[in-house]
Amino acid sequence: MYSELYLNEEQTEWAQLTPVQRYIESCKLWSVYLGLGGSLDPEPDSQSPFDFPELQRAVPADGRSGVYFVRRS
Amino acid sequence: MGGQACILYGGAEFSRDIDLSVGIDATNLAAIRKALDSLRAETIFVPSLGEAVLRQGHTCHFRCHADGVEGLRIDLMSKMRGCPDFGYLWERRSIISLPEIGEIGLLSLADLIQAKKTQREKDWPMISRLVETDIAQNIKKADEQKIIFWLKECRTPAMLIQLAEENGELCKKVMSSRPLLVAALDKNIKELESGLLEEEMKEREQDRQYWQPLKKELEQWRLNRNA
Repeated sequence: MYSELYLNEEQTEWAQLTPVQRYIESCKLWSVYLGLGGSLDPEPDSQSPFDFPELQRAVPADGRSGVYFVRRS
Repeated sequence: MGGQACILYGGAEFSRDIDLSVGIDATNLAAIRKALDSLRAETIFVPSLGEAVLRQGHTCHFRCHADGVEGLRIDLMSKMRGCPDFGYLWERRSIISLPEIGEIGLLSLADLIQAKKTQREKDWPMISRLVETDIAQNIKKADEQKIIFWLKECRTPAMLIQLAEENGELCKKVMSSRPLLVAALDKNIKELESGLLEEEMKEREQDRQYWQPLKKELEQWRLNRNA
């Protein structure tokens, strides 16, 4: 009842998976993310105590910014 | 811990790095160094991995170069603001067995939520979602301890109002440690939202204060390294 009231369809679907199933699904997103040129380094974040350029070195080969959200199909 | 733990608890779908909370006795540090070597992990920022810096609350940052994990970022830390010592974190950890990896220790949900109470605005929706997911998954089998945990940590106003309504007596018990529950019991959504924002701002400020001396130290080390 709580999930119906407060979670959207995608959240509900994700919540219903087991941790192992979530891990497997998340692993699948890695290849998509990297394929889209996503960077593994954090983006600049002025609110982070680690907001130093040394930690944000990598720029994706295609020059695009990292992807924030990747929807599952 | 971090984003990967949020995925396993159902609060997130993806994280681009791996954050690990580590015990810092000599044996463990040696094992960590060996593991980092096998990943060809390069230290990319100050401080270098060491017992003293981890004990102080610093984070050690790595980038891997081994085949299959090129570019993977790993951050190691041992002490987190508001969280108990590593020994307690370890005792309270969840254990999950992952395919091709085996058993891993996962920060308990309560400790993960505490660790996420940072100065960064983007960590706060994650806390909300972690609790929302936990409620959705466990509402039918929740015991008193679980409901108390939700009453203490839930950040979704409508959910909190429903929890308070269904658990009035427990809510009254928790109220002294979380005054905004008065507004939840009164179904006063405006006051509840304002209380939640106040809680968040207070924690974020405390985190900024906590990091101030550590940041100073980081900046000094960075200057020395670049000199």
